[in-house]
Amino acid sequence: MEPQPTPEEALAALNAVERGRLTVIDEIGLPRWYWWGLALGWVALGFVTDLKHAWLTAAATFAFGAVHASVAARAASGRRRTQRLSVRAEVAGRRTARLIVGCVAALGGLTVGLALAASADGASHPVTIASAFVALTILLGRPQLIGAIRRRAAASTTR
Amino acid sequence: MTKAKFDELIHPSTRLSIVALLAAADWAEFAFLRDQLELSDSALSKQLSTLEDAGYVQIERPLRNHRRRVRARLTEVGAEAFEGHVAALRSIVSRTDRAGQPAH
Repeated sequence: MEPQPTPEEALAALNAVERGRLTVIDEIGLPRWYWWGLALGWVALGFVTDLKHAWLTAAATFAFGAVHASVAARAASGRRRTQRLSVRAEVAGRRTARLIVGCVAALGGLTVGLALAASADGASHPVTIASAFVALTILLGRPQLIGAIRRRAAASTTR
Repeated sequence: MTKAKFDELIHPSTRLSIVALLAAADWAEFAFLRDQLELSDSALSKQLSTLEDAGYVQIERPLRNHRRRVRARLTEVGAEAFEGHVAALRSIVSRTDRAGQPAH
């Protein structure tokens, strides 16, 4: 007969297991370069749009979308914030990438709305102003978004 | 449903913590495990070797930025043993909870 732990020891062991899971959940996130790249790309795209060259705007939008799609496919899962570990997909949550891409799409809508408002107000570079505001929102809102994703992962019992 | 099976090899606290971390990750670098568990290199190496010998952990040495990295991942056998062990621990705790309930 194998020696069995006491209930107190078993509970302490289960707590250690949960601490391990939470430690890995703390690693969920996107690399810093992704956020900075997104914010700078946003401002650049806004600036190009304000130049009012239709072909240039179209090319820049296409390039931005292509680069983002390529990068997001690798980075937006939230599983590789650093190169020190890879979080399991079940732990990170399978909807994380969709949530990030959804937020980016919503920010696109916000940029258009702000640019229209700035234009109506007579601003000379409405899209650049709107893009800069949204870029700031990306950088400042990043911890809140990642915090919400981590809280959802911690609350999940899908382990 | 995972079959509850107490695993003496996993149960010691350091090994349990290592396996718990690896169970939530695809893989983790040696340095990450060392820092999180506050172990020396030699202590972590020893524990990983024990787990590797049991077939619970696989050690990989990929090349990144021209430097050889050491990383560990839980094998399928290790994941099953861990899940069985956690189920056994839960069973011990829940038996006590039931025994501790007042009779109606």
